[in-house]
Amino acid sequence: MKIAVMQFPGTNCEFETLLAVKTVGMDGELFRWNRPEGELSGFDGFIIPGGFSYQDRLRAGVIASKEPVMNTLKEEAGKGKPIIGICNGFQILVETGLLPGSVNGSGCGKVDMALAQNVMVSQGKIVRRGYYCDWVNLRHEAPSKRCSGSFTIERGALLRVPIAHGEGNLVTTTPGLVEKLNEEGQVVFRYCDKNGRVINEFPFNVNGSTESIAAICNEQGNVLGMMPHPERAFFAWQLPAFDPRKQRPDEPGPGRRVFESMKRYIEVNA
Amino acid sequence: MSQKINLRVWLKIPDAEAATVKNTLIRRLGFGNVLADVKKERLFSIEVDSGDPQELAKSFAKELVNENKESHIVLIDELLFEEGYVPVKVALHIEDGEAISIRERLRSRLGFENVVDVKKATIWKLFFKTLKPEAEIKAIEVAEKLLINPHKDTYEIMG
Repeated sequence: MKIAVMQFPGTNCEFETLLAVKTVGMDGELFRWNRPEGELSGFDGFIIPGGFSYQDRLRAGVIASKEPVMNTLKEEAGKGKPIIGICNGFQILVETGLLPGSVNGSGCGKVDMALAQNVMVSQGKIVRRGYYCDWVNLRHEAPSKRCSGSFTIERGALLRVPIAHGEGNLVTTTPGLVEKLNEEGQVVFRYCDKNGRVINEFPFNVNGSTESIAAICNEQGNVLGMMPHPERAFFAWQLPAFDPRKQRPDEPGPGRRVFESMKRYIEVNA
Repeated sequence: MSQKINLRVWLKIPDAEAATVKNTLIRRLGFGNVLADVKKERLFSIEVDSGDPQELAKSFAKELVNENKESHIVLIDELLFEEGYVPVKVALHIEDGEAISIRERLRSRLGFENVVDVKKATIWKLFFKTLKPEAEIKAIEVAEKLLINPHKDTYEIMG
């Protein structure tokens, strides 16, 4: 079970992501953007990590989305292989058209949404904007087994994971898209408070995202994009000081479940 | 009567973002045969309801332009561009938090209470090997294939 952790110029979480992949028992390697894209077909799954590919020039993720490796990833997605995009990886998948994705899962290249600049709103006022990093609470919205990156996570489960981005505000002008995402179980995670209540304003909705959406998958469920960073909460010792689990460093962190899910998804679909 | 002060601002040093856009258009999106160069400007359109617009423009430029690395020109109630390229104006159609922040900074912190509104955009200057109107058709293609995400941006080909 071999995972390609994609590396574009400006990617900055590839080593943590690769460690997470290997720690849950998968094999993996970094795959630089300028390697022959045909070599991607030898992998069982793909992760596009976070960072600032091409320094976020023009807008986050768009330059990387035009690289030849992304065309190959579209083909691999069409075969049902799992792809997880984290933060900048999510932005790249959106700009590629892989998320929310087309009917047959191969991605038609049509961009159906944007991850726009953060605008934090509280009580009707913009209280903050731009880059923001913090620990957030996520509520798993999809049924288990709906999505490759949350395959083993039960609906309603809460995860504490960090975010760090300037453009995570999910917006769309596509009529009915958000309703469809909700109806089809494609909304995978929402930002929430520590009790799991979704409160659609800052500081709970950390970037102004429509309906507090933090992660979505494509129709087939094999492609997941999420703004929070599970690889930064993979081990309990990575958790913030105020989290009691930090005192139990041998325990797994909440982000580990995303990588375990990917592994299980591949085992079940092999 | 309100007046609009347009500040066109560009880097004096090499613009890495414009270079990346040019590179992507040529190497990845097939514009190598028609595209000669890409340059970029920032555009601030500041609406004021009183005061001498030329004097106000000087004050605004002190706040919005870093003369160590940027140049600018001021245009009052008009927005003109040179010959030789197709200017494409890209702006957010969703709420522009940065423009709102600039307006509030000018009004509340710097005392320019005559500032009514601030709008911000990017002007992409596309130099084509072909002439108009073909160049403008290509500019539309460039805008829709790369420069904008229609879910948050709009574009306008400036004549």
